[in-house]
Amino acid sequence: MASIELLLIIALASGFLAYLLGRVNRVYGAIVTIVSSMFVFSSLAYFGFTDSLDTTVSILPYVTFQVTYLGMFFAVMITFIYAMVSFFNPMFIKDYKYPGAYSMLYILSMAGVIGVFFTDNFMVMFFFFEFIVWTSMFLIPLGHSRKAAVSYYAFSAVGSFALLFAIFMMREAAGSFGINAGLAAISGTNAIVVFILLIVSAFAKLGAFPLHTWLPIAHGNAPHPFSPVLSGALVKLGAFVAVMALIKITPNSYVIVALDLPLAQYLVAIFAGLSIVFGTLMAIRQDDAKKLLAYSSMSHGGYILLAFSLGSSIGLSGGFYHIVTHALATGAAFLAIAAVGRQTGTTKMSELGGVIQKMPVTYVVYLIAIISMAGIPPMGGFISKWLIFQAVIDKGLILLAAAVFFGSIGSFLYVFRPLAALFLGQEKPQFKGILKEAPVIMLIPMIVLSGMNLVTGIFPNIFLQFINKVIVELGMAPVVLGTYTIQGTNGILDPLQITIAFGIGVVIAFIIFILLKKSKQVGLMDTYTAGNFIYSEELMHYSVDFYAPIERLYEKHTTHVQDMYKSLENKVKEFGNVVKYFFFTNKPEITVFWILIIIGALLWGDLL
Amino acid sequence: MSAILLIVIPLLAAFLSILVKKYSANILLVVSFASVVLLNYIPLEVITIGGFAAPYGINLILDQYSLIALYAVNVLFFLVVAINCAKFKKLSSILLVALAGLNGMILTGDLFNLFVFMEVSGIAAYLMTTTNQKPLATFNYLVQGTVGSSLYLLGLILLYAMFGTLNMQDMAFQISSSGYHIAVTAFPFLLMFIGFGVEAKLLPFNSWVQGILGSSNRLTGPMIASVYAAAIGFVLGRLLTELFVFEGTLLLIVTAILGFSIVAGEAMAFGAKKVREILLFSSIAQAALVALVFLSGFTGLAALLLIANTAGKLILFLITNTATDQLGNDDISTLQGLFVNNKVVGVSFTVAVLNVLGLPMFFGFVLKMNILLEFFQTDHLLWPAVILIVSVVEGIYFIRLLLKLWFKESDLPQVEFEFTLKYVVVVVAALLILFGVYTAPVEQAADDLTAIQYIEGGNL
Repeated sequence: MASIELLLIIALASGFLAYLLGRVNRVYGAIVTIVSSMFVFSSLAYFGFTDSLDTTVSILPYVTFQVTYLGMFFAVMITFIYAMVSFFNPMFIKDYKYPGAYSMLYILSMAGVIGVFFTDNFMVMFFFFEFIVWTSMFLIPLGHSRKAAVSYYAFSAVGSFALLFAIFMMREAAGSFGINAGLAAISGTNAIVVFILLIVSAFAKLGAFPLHTWLPIAHGNAPHPFSPVLSGALVKLGAFVAVMALIKITPNSYVIVALDLPLAQYLVAIFAGLSIVFGTLMAIRQDDAKKLLAYSSMSHGGYILLAFSLGSSIGLSGGFYHIVTHALATGAAFLAIAAVGRQTGTTKMSELGGVIQKMPVTYVVYLIAIISMAGIPPMGGFISKWLIFQAVIDKGLILLAAAVFFGSIGSFLYVFRPLAALFLGQEKPQFKGILKEAPVIMLIPMIVLSGMNLVTGIFPNIFLQFINKVIVELGMAPVVLGTYTIQGTNGILDPLQITIAFGIGVVIAFIIFILLKKSKQVGLMDTYTAGNFIYSEELMHYSVDFYAPIERLYEKHTTHVQDMYKSLENKVKEFGNVVKYFFFTNKPEITVFWILIIIGALLWGDLL
Repeated sequence: MSAILLIVIPLLAAFLSILVKKYSANILLVVSFASVVLLNYIPLEVITIGGFAAPYGINLILDQYSLIALYAVNVLFFLVVAINCAKFKKLSSILLVALAGLNGMILTGDLFNLFVFMEVSGIAAYLMTTTNQKPLATFNYLVQGTVGSSLYLLGLILLYAMFGTLNMQDMAFQISSSGYHIAVTAFPFLLMFIGFGVEAKLLPFNSWVQGILGSSNRLTGPMIASVYAAAIGFVLGRLLTELFVFEGTLLLIVTAILGFSIVAGEAMAFGAKKVREILLFSSIAQAALVALVFLSGFTGLAALLLIANTAGKLILFLITNTATDQLGNDDISTLQGLFVNNKVVGVSFTVAVLNVLGLPMFFGFVLKMNILLEFFQTDHLLWPAVILIVSVVEGIYFIRLLLKLWFKESDLPQVEFEFTLKYVVVVVAALLILFGVYTAPVEQAADDLTAIQYIEGGNL
């Protein structure tokens, strides 16, 4: 038996240890993050899957624990991402202004994850929820931009406070902070309000439209190793909140008979669909590879929300599986980009090219990750998207199905771009001779994640069986699984068969590759166009304005939501200025004037 | 030992310090420390002065509530003085008078006596703020403070004419047993509330704050924003719980004032570009929130929130004003990168800010959650919504400020923080964390304070 409390305390303590050791030598602090996160992940996974997590609490005040499949699903997955990413920390720690603080906050935010997912008490959950917010908030400015942390905090705060308000409403209904009691007790109009609040919270955390603007700013500017944690792990907190809202609360809303779907769920599905479409369109435009992946996270967040909102077993299963596959894929992709960023000093596609020649392993990792993200077999992303397609089509949601397909095809477009711009093409002159493959310690997690991307694609049932337990716990029928097959609503999927077919294709292609003549490498300047000799290699970089014709269709409409928040911000400032103008003068008589007005308000009708 | 010593000793020492100017700073330090120590030995009691029984004579009330208030005010006062007494020797006598006035305000059970102590501490404050070197601002403060206390006095005269008593307890009893219509007392109560509103920084009576705190120095900033704010807050809290009966139109007006102060204070802080302005506007919002919590009857939580806020403000103003004194101005751009080389100070500042924001692991979180819970339990859903929405705004500008202060690549501001200051801010910050994690005594204290036998009448 392993006590969750002990695990939490060890995690917290190792956070402070990381700080102290980080003061001695910054790399030591980073090594503590590896040890600590690996320890937490492996204990959670081992004891969790053998059903031997102990929930007794003897030291911490107020904290109570429970083990649910749902909580364990999230906790194990998120700590896995933390553990994988932690291998990058020693290599990046030298760049940070406050290395000790980085290591400490990294571990503390992970400790918060244990608290959120293993408690049965809303207040404890919120405590750790906010704890994660402020610890991770201080990690972001260690990267490129301070503003990123502010916008992360702002949207997180909206999410957290919406959640808090909902929690208090449920507490009033149930009489206690118990999670199950609270969710069960809420009813009537209050249920609608709680539902909306939880959905706002889920959208804000997950970065779904229209609460998405922080995603590219925060993910794009966070320290390279922290971006995968944000995108792969922490935004999934939103998915957890979404499950509470969409599955456990049934607001008394109008049911659309033709779709057999409550209006509330349908509206969430529509916004999720919009997230998919807008996220895809915005990702297509990005020059910075990290921002591109951030927008892709937005679109994948839409997939997850859409899947959950359909209320069917297949949809739920697809949503949960998509959380896993996206976390693995985006984690691997962000790590690959981080490795490139470390070796070259930039993640802008227009400044890079031909990285494959010096960093082939990183290239393969990225390739596998984007294949999974685009939903192509034999990677995990294919399975989860297949499940989601099944669920959407089964409900007959034509427009949403179109959005889902659009997102899938769109992701071909955008994930291919970094591949072409960053890894393929011509090597940039400034990196010639100095670029090297990432160090082994960074390759370890990338290779492990790639392996997982493959495993989730070939043997999805290992994971789906566990997800079935989660679904049953949520009160739904499990998805029918064979040894290797998945039973959909209109057919059976056999991932192993697909993989074998795919493998044969690869082998044939490889044979052709071997047999054909070797290609010859020529210098980039060894050409001319339209009678002009090329005098600078940059001119041959074709990744700038890669999809210009598509972008032109919507380039004027990409900033509406940002503009809205910007103007909201200005409105608050203006309001403050108006108040200042009316009340904060250097003239005491103005104060007297306001006093008279207030007294007048009291006496109005009696004496005046 | 009697509570009266808390007023008498500083007052005597004030006169003494004029005679021996050379040692005035030492006297100040010793006396302010002595009053903190003294608090441990005073029994809880009601002291009758001059042998006249309560409704006729003046009495001092030392109950659980005023004891906590005295602890907060005297400790904060001592800390501010300990850091500043060497630099502001000339003000020693005035500071001693201020201490006597503040202690008197908290202790007194007589409403006219309260006015006297308000004026005593007010005059000390006006004199203190002359060290800001902004005569016009001080003058405004003087005029507004006087208007406020005159209104308080006017309201009190009306009540005296109606009920023939000045004793707080007696007055509350008379009002509740007189059977007067509520509208009759509304006017004097509003006048008294406005009188306090000026000192308690409630909008729209607080335009002096910008001039005074916006150009404050190391002494006046923490003194006004922390020590005075604590004392006034506690007294206002007592009046709100025990004396004032706000109902009908009056309740609406007062609630509107407080709500507006909260929202407008945060909005103004959001747009501010100077560090001290951010702090002063945010303290307007906080003062109004404390008053609102008092008004809603959650006395214990309000008192603790007041302590948390004023302790936090002590850290924030001490650090900001030390840096401003040395750098010349308090534009955010000037102070940017302040903490890069002053990590200890920076961590304390950060803790104080996170405490104000009510983030977990800090004292503020415990209080915020309990306050929201109380509002929900009494079915007031509007206030939690308002508090949470302005919290987002508050969070944005505070986090923005923090990040500016922590990050700058080159050309860092050079500021020296002396050991005493570091010691003080670290200890206060450590306490804010301690009570954020170890919450049992906090909740006990809140329950105790709410459970005291308050006088009949008032809002409760």
